[in-house]
Amino acid sequence: MDEPADSLASASFFTGARDVAAGISRREAIARTLKAGAGLSVLSQVGGLLRGATEPPPSPSAPGPVTVTLNINGDAHTLAIEPRVTLLDALREHLGMYGTKKGCDHGQCGACTVLVNGERVNSCLTLAVMHPGDDITTIEGLADGDALHPVQAAFIKHDAFQCGYCTPGQICSAVALIKEGHAKTDAEIREQMAGNICRCGAYQHIVAAVREAMQPTG
Amino acid sequence: MASASDSSPPVAPVGEPRDRVDGRAKVTGRVVYAAEAPVRNAVHAVLVSSTIARGEITAMDAASVERSPGVLAVLTPKNMPKLEYVDAKFHAEKRLPLGDLRIYYAGQHIAVVVADTLERALYASTLLRVSYREEPPVLGLGDPAAKIEWPKGEMTGPLQFEKGDVDAALSGTGVVTVKQTYSTPIETHNPMEMSATVAYWENGKLTVWDSTQAVVNRQKALAAVFGLKPDQVRVLCPFVGGAFGCKGDQWPHTFLAAAAAQAVGKPVKLMLTRQQMFTGCGHRPVTEQTITLGADGQGRLVALRHESKSDDSEVGKHIEPCGAGSSAIMYATPNLAYTHRVSRTNIASATFMRAPGENPGTYALESAMDELAIALKMDPVELRLVNYADRAPHNGLPFSTSNVKECYRLGAEKFGWSRRNPEPGSMRAPDGARVGWGMATATYPAHRFPNQARIRLMLDRDGGVRAIGAAATQDLGTGAYTVFTQMTAMLVGLPFERVKFELGDSNLPPGGVSGGSATTAGVGQAMSEAAGKLRQAMLKRAQENSGSPLAGLTPDQVVFQGGRIVAANDPSRGVELSAVLKGGPAYIEGLNEANPAGADNLPAKQKAYTFQSFGAHFVEVAVDERLPIVRVKRVVSVMDVGRVINPKTAGSQVQGAVIMGMGQALLEETHYDPRTGRVVNDNLADYVVCVNPDVRSIETYFVGEPDLLFNAIGCRGVGEIGITGIAAAIANAVYHATGRRVRDLPITAEKLMRPA
Repeated sequence: MDEPADSLASASFFTGARDVAAGISRREAIARTLKAGAGLSVLSQVGGLLRGATEPPPSPSAPGPVTVTLNINGDAHTLAIEPRVTLLDALREHLGMYGTKKGCDHGQCGACTVLVNGERVNSCLTLAVMHPGDDITTIEGLADGDALHPVQAAFIKHDAFQCGYCTPGQICSAVALIKEGHAKTDAEIREQMAGNICRCGAYQHIVAAVREAMQPTG
Repeated sequence: MASASDSSPPVAPVGEPRDRVDGRAKVTGRVVYAAEAPVRNAVHAVLVSSTIARGEITAMDAASVERSPGVLAVLTPKNMPKLEYVDAKFHAEKRLPLGDLRIYYAGQHIAVVVADTLERALYASTLLRVSYREEPPVLGLGDPAAKIEWPKGEMTGPLQFEKGDVDAALSGTGVVTVKQTYSTPIETHNPMEMSATVAYWENGKLTVWDSTQAVVNRQKALAAVFGLKPDQVRVLCPFVGGAFGCKGDQWPHTFLAAAAAQAVGKPVKLMLTRQQMFTGCGHRPVTEQTITLGADGQGRLVALRHESKSDDSEVGKHIEPCGAGSSAIMYATPNLAYTHRVSRTNIASATFMRAPGENPGTYALESAMDELAIALKMDPVELRLVNYADRAPHNGLPFSTSNVKECYRLGAEKFGWSRRNPEPGSMRAPDGARVGWGMATATYPAHRFPNQARIRLMLDRDGGVRAIGAAATQDLGTGAYTVFTQMTAMLVGLPFERVKFELGDSNLPPGGVSGGSATTAGVGQAMSEAAGKLRQAMLKRAQENSGSPLAGLTPDQVVFQGGRIVAANDPSRGVELSAVLKGGPAYIEGLNEANPAGADNLPAKQKAYTFQSFGAHFVEVAVDERLPIVRVKRVVSVMDVGRVINPKTAGSQVQGAVIMGMGQALLEETHYDPRTGRVVNDNLADYVVCVNPDVRSIETYFVGEPDLLFNAIGCRGVGEIGITGIAAAIANAVYHATGRRVRDLPITAEKLMRPA
């Protein structure tokens, strides 16, 4: 068995401890977005809405649509969108690419995970205008024609999903995890997949699928 | 015990562990959930929620909202079109949204803002100015201001029940008693897909894509409220991103999306935010249950009393039937009483959540049974065997089948229960953590609702025969597409690959609600009947040919087998389906009569039985000595759910239910501010559910036999039973590890650290 030692560091019942996971954790993802200097306005705006703000929020500084070209799954898409549009909403509502899912819009569930230059990113925590020139891969871009990516095939074989809503994010996350190369054991796969919630509870099968897809093919 | 008599034998692919037929679409991101409806030029609606929990709106100023760029409409109680509250049975609440100025709970929808983009709708919605006259909210089961009700119970059977004399039996000589109170907090479903609706009107007809557990009920509710005929409303829902009960009844946002689409004359898309999922589509209510058990020296229950309290909003319709779902059913006892009390509070409306009643009920009863076993110095499994019921204690009717003893036996064997040292705190892990082993019984009733289904046979372009089954049912992630494809293949005797199943569209024959774990059993029965009609139609057509080998046979004397229709007693006598179909209409179909197989409409032979599933969970926990965080190390769950159509998807459902139960036992609780009644942790970082590293080893097994008294396929439901009993099994294991009994879920470290 490859159980982690029962130390506080792996005490995953506590949300704070989840950030111990390698890969892109929630804390890191938020930090990156904040560093890029664009996350705050999105968060405060959404926060105001959810609390049914009674104070008038600051007037929108939206300069109107700007033009951005996104390179998604190898294709260039030029969009005229407001700077406040998240990468997630750009994909879904402006490009009609609905494979990437909205599960919380706060970077807490991982359903919107996409690959940006090969790294997993919560697309709800980053703005589309921040990504000209980046290579963005979504769930729609993983298969090679009819040939599924090994992670996709393993997910079907191991029944690693039920409703399927978290699945695109799980699979993108798993593809990056394998490339990161830090996970050697089931326990490490679990920790490094901790940012992707599956409410149907397919976790054990997700680990089996990732483990299988990790094996070097002969 | 029932015997199989009038049914056809099991035929592949039923019973085989097939991959999901929608698997490829799901892993490539190509399935369509409600918010992803292929509708052009949809505009976006955003809901504004009440910030107070009780009172009245005194003024609303929407002028700056309306002036905000991109805004197309603002619906408030002032200008909301008058809708009619009819067909109440489909509604989750006793009122329609924006119908009045009263505030019943924090998070209640008070306005809808529609704009050309999501961002502009979101921003504009923050500009609405609202004034309230606030009243102190009624919160919690103990609030003296709460109105109290003692519901009689309709669908659940009687909710206030007594047989025998519980008090007299409890005071008998030599009776060992346990009396304890157990509580569970408000838990919120939080499926990964937020509830969403896309609605549009065309020539007076309404089309709605909705994330729902019941497309036909949605259709009926929308038609009634908007004054339309049912055929003027179409509801589509090919895929649901999880539901667990919160998409079962009709919630207000669907009406609001349809009204907004009418107001702006364009398709409108509305998706609840994760925050609104905590107030806009229900939750499991708070419960407090007092269990009193009395047993004789051999451990036989002489009396059982189960007093249950739950809450709901003033406009809610939910009762959590804790006692009716557990103590009414599980153990033989001559003296049994249970009561249910509902408090009206200013918390958002409650609803069904995975095994409503059975889940908190089994937590309380199965915890108390563990306490009784300890008081009697008996093994917990032995205590349950001693109290085995072969009939339901509340109605005296025998179970159609029950294999609960086999669940205990196999579970104990797979788990290694015989190696358990009963002394609390006696077992340790190699790293020094305390180890505890606990178990509990699982149970869930078998339901089926009225369902229709059809099966069509047709010739493919390649000359082969293909079958399409269909019903307006739903796949919530349960595997419905796959199991009904398997069932169709079995019923028409064709290979799995030549069969398709369609669902999630109110234009199809009306399937029932996907709730109560009823889908497979209910639609399965309808399909079995539809296959009978198809056999009739195919035989009639085959017999039109002179010299047909099937001449003179009746529909009961033929079966579908290997792509042919043949005499049941002589399979060599028959014809190819392709030959029957050749030169005929585009397809030949079987459609069953509307099947009123609800609980009240069962045929007479079924009224003599109780249909119930049972199971057993065995759990190992480890608890760190210094900071007592509980970790579930392994679970063995054995279930008897009748015939299992697909062990792969069914096993996944039980596993998922166990994991949700682990969350309930150790993590999940919706917290409300005691002053304002607002949800404090309305997000997925603070409402903590199990994540991947929380799950170590869960083994699931099925021991059922086909329940052919229940339906022609012999299956009961599998979606909910796995979450019954699991919280008790974990709580019992925690006691075994630590000697500490936490009777208040979730079992957190701080509760274990409190002085005893």
